Amino acid sequence: MAEIGKTRAGIAALVMALVVGWAPAAAGQDGDGYAESDFLSRVRRLTIEGKRAGEGYYRPDGRMIVFQSERDPDNPFYQIYTLDLETGDLRRISPGHGKTTCAFFQPGSSLIMYASTQHDPESKALQAEELAFRESGQERRYAWDYDPEMEIYTFDRDTGAYDRLTNVRGYDAEGSYSPDGEWIVYTSMRDAYNRDLPAEEQKQLELDPSYFAEIYIMRADGSEQRRLTDVAGYDGGPFFSADGAKIVWRRFDEAGLIADVWLMNPDGSDQTQVTDFNSMSWAPYVHPSGDYIFFASNKLGFTNFEVYIVDAAGAKEPVRITHTDGFDGLPVPSPDGQTLSWTSSRAGGDGAQIFLARWDHAKALEALAAAPARGAGNE
Amino acid sequence: MLATLGFAPAVAVGQQSPAQPHVEALAADALDGRLTGSAGARGAADYIVSQLGAIGAQPLPGRFDFRLPFEFTAGVNDAGTSIAFGEAAWRESEEVQALSFSDSARVESEVVFAGYGLVVPESQDFGYDSYATLDVTDKIVVVLRYFPEDVDQELRGILSRYSGLRYKAMAARQRGAKALVVLTGPRSPNAGLTVPMTFDTAISGSGIAAASVSGTVGDALFEHVPDRTVEEMQAELDSGNPHVAGFAIDSVTLTLDVSVTREQHTGYNVAGYLPPTGAPVASDAKPYVLLGAHYDHLGHGLQGNSLARESERGEVHNGADDNASGVAAVLEAGRALADVERGRGVLLAFWSGEELGLLGSASFVDTEPVPMAEISAYLNFDMVGRARDNRLALQAVGSSPNWEGLIERANVPVGFNVQIQSDPYLPTDVMSFNGAEVPSLNFFTGSHEDYHRPSDDPAGINYEDLDRVVRLGTIIARNIANQESPLEFVRVEQVEQQGQRASLRAFTGTIPDYTAEVEGMLLGGVIEGGPAAEGGLLDGDVIVEFAGQTITNIYDYTYALDAIKVDEPITVVFIRDGEKHEIVMTPTARR
Ligand SMILES: [Zn+2]
Repeated sequence: MAEIGKTRAGIAALVMALVVGWAPAAAGQDGDGYAESDFLSRVRRLTIEGKRAGEGYYRPDGRMIVFQSERDPDNPFYQIYTLDLETGDLRRISPGHGKTTCAFFQPGSSLIMYASTQHDPESKALQAEELAFRESGQERRYAWDYDPEMEIYTFDRDTGAYDRLTNVRGYDAEGSYSPDGEWIVYTSMRDAYNRDLPAEEQKQLELDPSYFAEIYIMRADGSEQRRLTDVAGYDGGPFFSADGAKIVWRRFDEAGLIADVWLMNPDGSDQTQVTDFNSMSWAPYVHPSGDYIFFASNKLGFTNFEVYIVDAAGAKEPVRITHTDGFDGLPVPSPDGQTLSWTSSRAGGDGAQIFLARWDHAKALEALAAAPARGAGNE
Repeated sequence: MLATLGFAPAVAVGQQSPAQPHVEALAADALDGRLTGSAGARGAADYIVSQLGAIGAQPLPGRFDFRLPFEFTAGVNDAGTSIAFGEAAWRESEEVQALSFSDSARVESEVVFAGYGLVVPESQDFGYDSYATLDVTDKIVVVLRYFPEDVDQELRGILSRYSGLRYKAMAARQRGAKALVVLTGPRSPNAGLTVPMTFDTAISGSGIAAASVSGTVGDALFEHVPDRTVEEMQAELDSGNPHVAGFAIDSVTLTLDVSVTREQHTGYNVAGYLPPTGAPVASDAKPYVLLGAHYDHLGHGLQGNSLARESERGEVHNGADDNASGVAAVLEAGRALADVERGRGVLLAFWSGEELGLLGSASFVDTEPVPMAEISAYLNFDMVGRARDNRLALQAVGSSPNWEGLIERANVPVGFNVQIQSDPYLPTDVMSFNGAEVPSLNFFTGSHEDYHRPSDDPAGINYEDLDRVVRLGTIIARNIANQESPLEFVRVEQVEQQGQRASLRAFTGTIPDYTAEVEGMLLGGVIEGGPAAEGGLLDGDVIVEFAGQTITNIYDYTYALDAIKVDEPITVVFIRDGEKHEIVMTPTARR
């Protein structure tokens, strides 16, 4: 991967790269007068083992979390784990080989969906190669490679069975279920592989496949795969709102530098831009109340991501939540809306980990009500 | 059963923490700060013994008493030192006093005045050797205390490092002198006074008789020197000119009779045992889990490690956080573990002598009342009563690759914002066990403004979070006690302290054992891949000669280190299994 900042591909990859590797950033400047402790209390580190962990999503009953972590000495890539929040019991649910990412519990069943290259006959060789590279003491910046072998799977926690839902060349990942468990909304780069690309687009693919990423939806069994977005640039990271009425996602501009939070109906209609934050604003997730959307932005410094909230209509300027240098992102509220899970580099070391904190919903509503109208804060 | 252990709700509001009575009992004024070897410490041990009984613990396997005694040097006294020459003799402590590191000996010999008695190693690129033109073999050497008074800042920086009395004694001994007499010159601070005897953790002698004398004695001696007073001589030396030479005082024979006694006291560790309650693990799977905390503290803070303010000096240092909190944690974790199904036995240990230098835990590791090879892990609790902002430091995590996972799972229901720290070379009893290759973990809620002060009282304890520390420790201990294989141990490379000995450029990779009382320098370990390890030194070796310098104690050794150079091979003579051996090793550049 090229040095971050030199190429467009680098910029887009940074979004994923920062989840896991971070560079210390200049302290962010903050004018809204809030402190982290105004919204987050009893902050605690949840994951400890291994080099890095992230993307902790709750089971609908809030008693379990599923996440990705690099912690297996034999596999340098993420594997998927569940952690019982009452007993501390940990279980690896991906098979242990290949690359995996982006897991999500199916409401009302024992299934967990995630993306994986586990069918790739090359996967073990790739692991060995990566381990040898790390062993050599060489360093490179961590970058997400949008492996075209990435496909969406489910794992049944009761039977241990794996089921592959997508089977199209191109990265299929970043999936999540609708609240009724019937639908999966996800990100696919298949559009770069399912046709003969003109020379210009072929160059684009070699530079940065995420340019081709669009939002898709399918039934929970993998049928009825359908495309919802059709705009150049990386559309990704879709999640349903708690009432199932909306899908929230992030849309990058063509250059891969600026991203904003968007909402649409599950059929792809009524695509509406929520933020206009002139920064990389991504990883949105709607609070269960439906009142506001969490997201992460590097508004305060290129590598200093912080968690923000914005009202669902996008009428106001976002309110900053975290105030810690380095990476704070991938915010996910618990189903009861009382706890926030997010991924942070605040513990130091070279990888981020998952943190939990009590979330003050009332304070959040108060801060949003007091926020200036959108655009009023932009000089 | 197991689930209740992990998720029992925290103590209800208004209900007293079970840890609180322990903290209050141990931090009571009646126990007088629990100084090792004192009546207060014995009272604390009595309390712990009674609590172990209440939990249902037994003495260690094969023992009948919870108390495990160990001997330690508690102080040093001048037992009658005298000096005589010509017609005169002195024996009052205002006139002549043993130096605290002196050997006891009677020496009668000729006298050589050796200026400030300074020897700066060649490696400093500044030649200064008070003995350069002198033959002091079998003589008594008289030197001035401190270093030349009138030198510039830069030279002070160099000379001051070699002006310690221990260093001067070693330099004299290296040149063959039989005894050292120190005089504080009239142009120096404390002019004419003898040097007070301090207990500088001087647990070993220096291989030479050494005493300080008063100005009166010094003047009387200089009456035998033609044309010069002490003051004139000092003025000459104070310029720092390295060529101002000492001289023999031929006309007198001096008799120095030094007598010191090192007080041996007895301290007591306390240890109890909870046998396995379930099917025992395989006998080769290290059948014990050890939980420990030191119970000693600083007494009235008169031993040099108190941070008491002027206004509170001499008051009882109650040590509620340091470390009544840790004792309470081990007792309460022990109570919870007593009833839990476990395949391993649990050892509950309470160390004394920690504040004097990890004496109790070092004795336990040395004498092995339970073999170190049978302990699967050690959990240490030192200062766990002052948690703030939900933070808990878990230290020494580098000692095993298994710690992170164990901590992660156990902390899920407890919920501390844990701060993971790898380094096992900590100023607490973990150091002793890490040295014995037992995977170790230290629980620590952080230092605070009352640390090592009389104000470290029970009022400052955060009992709610102390109870959570107990829960976390209990779950980790239970999980270790039930896992099939013992934890894997990893030796972490020691990062040498920065700054303190900044000018020390050559690296040898030796880890001295600071607690040993041996003739020579006992190696507590060697750093893997370092020059000492490469040369063939092992832990347990006793170095007696290093780069041509005789080594009788650790102080000699640190001074000898100053004289070595990077990439220049040196010979090391050491004793292993009672036999003398010799190796050559090559110091490397310090990274
Ligand atoms: Zn202490």
